[in-house]
Amino acid sequence: MNQNSLSITLTINGTEKTLTVQRSDTLLDALRRASYFSVKFGCGTGDCGACTVLLDGEPVRSCQIRATEAAGRAVTTVEALADKEQVFLPSPGLAGLHPLQRAFIETGAIQCGYCTPAQLLTAKALLDRQPNPSEAEIREALGGVLCRCTGYVKIVQAVQRAAALLRGEDPAPFAPIEATLAPDTPLAELLGEYSRVGADGAPLILSPPEMEHLNVVGQGEPKVDGVKLALGQPAFTDDIQMEGMLYGALLTSPHAHARIKQIDASQARALPGVHAVLTHRDIPRVKYASGGQSYPQPPPFDQVCLDDTVRHVGDRVAVVAAETPALAQQALRLIEVEYEVLPHVLDPQAAMQDGAPIVHDEPDTEGIYDRQRNIVHHIEAEGGDREAQWAKADYTFEQEYRTSQQQQAHIEPHVCITYWDEDGRLVVRTSTQVPFHIRRMLAPLIGLPVKQIRVVKPRIGGGFGNKQEMILEDLCAHLTIATGRPVRMEYTRAQEFTSSRSRHPQIMRYKIGVTAEMEVVATELYLIGDTCAYGTHGLTVQMVGGQKGLTLYNAPYSKFVCDVVYTNKPTPGAFRGYGSMQCHFGIEMLMSEIADRMGWDVIEFKRRNWIKQGEELLLAKALGEGREGFQQIIRSNGLEDCVRVGLEATDWYHKRGNETWRQGENGMRRGIGMSVMLHGSGIAGLDMAAATIKMNDDGSFNLLVGATDLGTGSDTILAQIAAEVLGIPATDLVVYSSDTDFTPFDKGAYASSTTYISGEAVRKAALKVAAQIKDHAATMLGSDTSEDMTLRDRQVFTPDGSSLTLEQVALSSLHQQDQHQIIASASHISYECPPPFGAQFVELAVDTETGQVTVERVLMVADAGRVINPITASGQVEGGLQQAIGFAHCEEMVYDESGRLVNPRLGPYRVYRCHEMPHLEAIFVQTEEPTGPFGAKSISELPLDGIAPAMADAIHDATGVWIREVPFTPERVWRALRSADTYSGVWQI
Amino acid sequence: MNDKQTAETWSIDTDTPLQAVLDSPDCPPLLHHSLIGPLSWQARNETSLRTTLKSPRVAPQWIAALLALGAAVTIEGEDGQPVQVTLEEVVQRRTRSQAMALHIPTKGLRWGEARVVRTPADEPIVAATAVVEMKNDIVQQARVALTGAGSEPARLAEPAALLAGGPLNADRIQAVAAAVEAAVEPTGDFMGSAEYRRAMAGVLTRRALEQCQSQEI
Ligand code: FES
Ligand code: FES
Repeated sequence: MNQNSLSITLTINGTEKTLTVQRSDTLLDALRRASYFSVKFGCGTGDCGACTVLLDGEPVRSCQIRATEAAGRAVTTVEALADKEQVFLPSPGLAGLHPLQRAFIETGAIQCGYCTPAQLLTAKALLDRQPNPSEAEIREALGGVLCRCTGYVKIVQAVQRAAALLRGEDPAPFAPIEATLAPDTPLAELLGEYSRVGADGAPLILSPPEMEHLNVVGQGEPKVDGVKLALGQPAFTDDIQMEGMLYGALLTSPHAHARIKQIDASQARALPGVHAVLTHRDIPRVKYASGGQSYPQPPPFDQVCLDDTVRHVGDRVAVVAAETPALAQQALRLIEVEYEVLPHVLDPQAAMQDGAPIVHDEPDTEGIYDRQRNIVHHIEAEGGDREAQWAKADYTFEQEYRTSQQQQAHIEPHVCITYWDEDGRLVVRTSTQVPFHIRRMLAPLIGLPVKQIRVVKPRIGGGFGNKQEMILEDLCAHLTIATGRPVRMEYTRAQEFTSSRSRHPQIMRYKIGVTAEMEVVATELYLIGDTCAYGTHGLTVQMVGGQKGLTLYNAPYSKFVCDVVYTNKPTPGAFRGYGSMQCHFGIEMLMSEIADRMGWDVIEFKRRNWIKQGEELLLAKALGEGREGFQQIIRSNGLEDCVRVGLEATDWYHKRGNETWRQGENGMRRGIGMSVMLHGSGIAGLDMAAATIKMNDDGSFNLLVGATDLGTGSDTILAQIAAEVLGIPATDLVVYSSDTDFTPFDKGAYASSTTYISGEAVRKAALKVAAQIKDHAATMLGSDTSEDMTLRDRQVFTPDGSSLTLEQVALSSLHQQDQHQIIASASHISYECPPPFGAQFVELAVDTETGQVTVERVLMVADAGRVINPITASGQVEGGLQQAIGFAHCEEMVYDESGRLVNPRLGPYRVYRCHEMPHLEAIFVQTEEPTGPFGAKSISELPLDGIAPAMADAIHDATGVWIREVPFTPERVWRALRSADTYSGVWQI
Repeated sequence: MNDKQTAETWSIDTDTPLQAVLDSPDCPPLLHHSLIGPLSWQARNETSLRTTLKSPRVAPQWIAALLALGAAVTIEGEDGQPVQVTLEEVVQRRTRSQAMALHIPTKGLRWGEARVVRTPADEPIVAATAVVEMKNDIVQQARVALTGAGSEPARLAEPAALLAGGPLNADRIQAVAAAVEAAVEPTGDFMGSAEYRRAMAGVLTRRALEQCQSQEI
């Protein structure tokens, strides 16, 4: 114990404990050090609430309370909620769990699970004081705990359900509402039964009459990791303590652009307890690109682990490893850096001017298109007959749209632990979406062969694309190599904003030619993609944006021209929506503006032109992802039904343009808007996934996948796909993902590929295993053929009705007859990436005196093919909508003139909280995609694509003014209303 | 929580957490309104009244509500004896003594609050809180406090004084709103420029006073 240490005694989860703490320790520090890992770090600034515990029964943020303040008091963490003895009985189901934990699992309120302990404890405190809370009371109570995954819909439903259970009621099982949607189905009747006004509804699934009912696929199975996340088990990267572990910390640049003239780390190195300080002088200069993408990664390789030039505030300068986090911070302060400050440029259009500061003047970065003008890539693609199509156009419309830099704001920061194992291999335990890419990309940077690296991905506390990037792994590994010790590195919340990744800001100029008969004959898009300091994902995000933005209406002539530009701001990367949502904003707005200008019904105008089943995507070949793509034909398209259902569910034609409905008090005006959208399912001809299924003695199976569940529920739906083939419940599969030593390759979780690509790999592996089971059953039964055998109810049946249980087959194959392991692996790659489709509807109110926009209701109707799990799929929609509303309404990284981010905190940056969410609804219109597993397409990114244009459309409906830049903040709207100086409609094309 | 309710005033010990204030059946609607939204349940449990008096930016809407209500604070005087001062003196740091109790007038008043926010539960960009004391349809006293129109929550005494001695009607409210707009000296930031904040100070003051035409504490 040093002089700052002291002992405190407190009661934790009913047991008196004495802890040794530092005076400066927060309660969060003390609890995590004492292995109460359910208490999570998300920000340390009081903004996220992930660290919530109960102090004498009341919720508090443990990062805002000194450990010493808890002395003599009672602390409750989520570890105390369940009766663990019951939980860990054989086949426990949900027995022993607190009703809140049960309800969270049953309703799908847990996605990544990182915020779950805090939500559970806050909800418990609420129900302890108010057994029958209203929805508003639940939302207000939960307002202090941010969730970035769920849109809070199912969390509120879970609390309502738990309250009912605790009151002794017996609520009906939480299940999706299913109905048949035939062309002649009277929609008003159908949708009238489905009301989600209130938070007690489940998603609505509409199926075509001919769709076959399946046993496991299509069911709202609870997440396979639900119990451990509800219990607050140590499932995340940082939930371990290793003997001798050091704490890494990163020194970042205070300048937007500077050369490091001198760097003196001697004082830091001399500090007792500091084991390593690394600067650019200590690490070999190996060029790389940090985006976690397939081999060969798209150029340019414009990064090195530590450089002598910094290109944005927050850029890497040096790293240290020390015995405590506080020592590591102290060491950072002792590093003396002398900078030669260079001119910087923040605006991409200014960066392209002659004489602008050159962001990358280093000679060893190759492949920059125009270094002097900071243009890293110039892309051109076109399809169709330019002259012929433009000649058909009776009208030409052209307009510019701008989007801002949004941050992923996953609640678990980037965190990584590296160590040498007993075989001298480097283990990288990291919160990543791309473990296999990390292993491949890391090897040359640290000078180890791939075979000497093992990457382990525990549960991930959200990523949304930001963990499709090598952010900490290389630095952490260098520190372990330098010290020989385990090293843990975790970003601060401010570093998440300044030193991780974000969404590319874009400027787009669309030009559309239409005929007097409403036909879109030509579309051109000039796009400026601001890739900021480094080019990671810069090429591919813009190519995807162009491809999706020009494919939605698939004009007979389409042209894409793009400049990807360096500036001195923190680097964007992959973010759910990936260029597509920005370009949807532009195209959907211009289509709505044209309809308004021409006096056309916007629905009819879009309907005539959106891409139809059987059409070939004009630019799919020219615009792949960083390379040439593959020809694509639309084989399934439920867009017409999505729109039809949405119009009815929102009562569109009653509200749109209805002056009586619009009018509110005090200058308030209501509006309704809509958009349509498409996305992709994986990257054609590039994404590959593999799966292995192995049979166990009791007829259960291990499913080993490299696919990376970052909270989406992909482990669960992969289990459902395998279970459907094998005729077993999904609970008979033990899913393990992902570990580069033990699971087969998968490119990782991105590009909306897991259901479609990894799912098909699992289906193929399951089919192989099913064939082996049937063969062995035939041997056991003395039959010379396994043909026509079927698997169901954990048994294999012959056509004559005799059967064997899977346990009998397993025991026989492993121990008795023709002994062998029933096991199979399969890989899958697709040269198609079928788009899911959707329609989004927004109702909002505009305060015309202040510019404040209040979003009231958002409905998404989606065609994701066959929905494998309606609960997890609707969770994807609701969480995606929350992020999309943030993008459109309030989230924006803002810089001062020096390039310093002025809002690098979750509070000022503004992530929507539970008690301010609009009413969210998800409806699925099922189709059968012939190339997808059981007819499935993707869903995870689609919800991001259309909210911004739908909101702009609704603001226009309310006020007559088009606002062409997101986010729609009060002042931006106020200025637009004033400059238009009228609410009756202004056309500025 | 140590508190005492008299006919006109509610007195609370400054050790009291904000959540206990909110939970009290004596908590008037204006204060209730000021304590929810941006302030989470967790924050209300962790934050004592004393903390908010020392650092008004921790709970600016709450402080603005107290300023509009004309709250007073008991502090420890130089001789160690309790002394009562206005809340403004404490907020403006004209006294550095330890605050011991807060005294909140609660009876016979009308109130209004209007704000502009990015999202409904966000910290307001600008907010105006108004409290008006009426007798026989004549304004006896009016107080307006703003957040987001200066560096800290502040009461604008002079513009609000224009209301005293006459009815609370649209013309007189508009005059106060215009005077507030002229009087504030906001600093712009990424949430709102100085020009925008100034304009909003006027709009929101007008709205807050309009609510006072009908809303009783
Ligand atoms: S970690 Fe405590 S509020 Fe975010
Ligand atoms: S489930 Fe809430 S942050 Fe992921």
